[in-house]
Amino acid sequence: MRLFWILLKKELHAFFVSPVAYVVLALVMVLNGFAFRAALSVLESAPSEGSIVSWTFHAMWFWLSYFFIFPLLTMRLFAEEKKLGTLETLFTAPVRAWQVIGAKYLASVIVYCVLWLPSLFNFKFAHWISAGAVELPPGAMAGAYIILVAMGMFNLAVGCFASALTSNQIVAAIISFTLSLLHFLLGVFIMVVGHKISDTIVEVVNYFAATEHIRIFTAGLIDSRPIVYYLSMSLLFLSFTHHVVEFRRWRP
Amino acid sequence: MIDVQDLTKQYAGRTAVNHISFRVEPGEIVGFLGPNGAGKSTTMRILSGYMPATSGRASVAGFDVFHQSIQVRQNVGYMPENAPLYTDMKVKEYLRFRAELKGLSGLSMRRRIGEVMELTGVTDMRKRLIGNLSKGYRQRVALADALVHKPRLLILDEPTNGLDPVQIRHVRDLLRSLKSKHTVLLSTHILHEVEQSCDRVVMINQGRIRANDTPENLTRQLRSTTLLHLEVEGNGPMAEKLNALPGVRKATEEPLLVHPWRRFTLRVEPDHDVRDAVLSLATEQKWRIREMHRQLPTLEDVFVELSMNAGTPADIPTHVL
Repeated sequence: MRLFWILLKKELHAFFVSPVAYVVLALVMVLNGFAFRAALSVLESAPSEGSIVSWTFHAMWFWLSYFFIFPLLTMRLFAEEKKLGTLETLFTAPVRAWQVIGAKYLASVIVYCVLWLPSLFNFKFAHWISAGAVELPPGAMAGAYIILVAMGMFNLAVGCFASALTSNQIVAAIISFTLSLLHFLLGVFIMVVGHKISDTIVEVVNYFAATEHIRIFTAGLIDSRPIVYYLSMSLLFLSFTHHVVEFRRWRP
Repeated sequence: MIDVQDLTKQYAGRTAVNHISFRVEPGEIVGFLGPNGAGKSTTMRILSGYMPATSGRASVAGFDVFHQSIQVRQNVGYMPENAPLYTDMKVKEYLRFRAELKGLSGLSMRRRIGEVMELTGVTDMRKRLIGNLSKGYRQRVALADALVHKPRLLILDEPTNGLDPVQIRHVRDLLRSLKSKHTVLLSTHILHEVEQSCDRVVMINQGRIRANDTPENLTRQLRSTTLLHLEVEGNGPMAEKLNALPGVRKATEEPLLVHPWRRFTLRVEPDHDVRDAVLSLATEQKWRIREMHRQLPTLEDVFVELSMNAGTPADIPTHVL
């Protein structure tokens, strides 16, 4: 466990001494601002059923940020070490593969959570200056951030796996982006053709669809199934990562 | 300290290391010598627990490198080729991270980091970013990292690669001073290095061990191929007459010098000195000699001979094996 903390500290350090974390943070803040502004304008124009929280996370701007965060945060995790050759020094120190993978993954999850802190401030601020007129339903708030973290954990695990596959960060980013996009498109597929196909298929696909999860959770409905789904998928991709990293230790 | 038995490593059908066996006793400095691609790095990676062998067994400090990998790594300080380091860390920061990973902590860790920085001469660079250091300094930082946990065995893959002559001398002195506390296995293709600092040489080529002996023994055994260079003035089939001398294995005439001088190279049998006989022959035949010199073999000759001899072990002179 001691080794895990040492590795985690080092990974976090690597995030914050490189410009990556700050660039991503800035971009996410800008896009969040647009999403928030879009949500405000919806509420301004007419009375609405949804809260400011659900409108913010339905904005196109939100989904824009959703895609570039994961590749940017995870692409260097293993690819850079492979390129530098430091994977060799790392794995000839008395550390186990799961400690390294766990530390890298957890560091990216922590940075990811930090990215969403400014959006929290947006909501609080709107609530405060409107003297409570902009309502922040606690269920919607909790639901939104829970699903954000769960989705993030899944996509970051995918990114971790992509980074372990190659020594080229660009390739890692593209693989991670493609996998995240494919997952997201499931939901879009239902939105586009949902009325033409049988309800059973729609229902099944909705289990996987990120857009559907966001819709439910930001409405304040905290459903355990998507959480279990994302967490187990994260574990699956982390175990893939473990296999890839330990590949050199395979014996014929 | 190291016990390698019948070790083989294959990469996708290519055999990098082919049934090698050798031992390294505690306190020895052993040089691992061979041309590029001979299998040196592969063997070292297996010994440091980085990757497993295809077949065979290897143990370090009594631990099996595959089944007890963590214990092996605690006892080994490994410095990979080209000294890979995190370029976004400062020297001291990096050494601290590595020391913590290897189980050091607190005051003793800080003291030890100071010690190894002093030992490798990077104290002045401790606050510099590794990415901005020259190759020589990076090499030293990597060496400091290998030393930091006082490992019983040091495995250094080309530790002097990319250093200037002064730095090379420094590393050599450092290795000698480490001898009392550590066993060292180092790979290099600079022969001078090995002759200067190693107790024993393991020569490897094309994945097989070609020689395993002290530097002195290797060069002495090679004396069989002592060369005698000769510059004479004379006529007729001189090479044949030289060949007829007892103890001369083969006399060959080198390309022409300025007429009438001719140049010969004589390969001489082991433990023969034919200089007197050559002189008598020259007097008898009325040749004029203007140069005769005996070339003693160096480790470099052994190395070149073994490297050229890329075939089966049968091609290698038995006295070297």
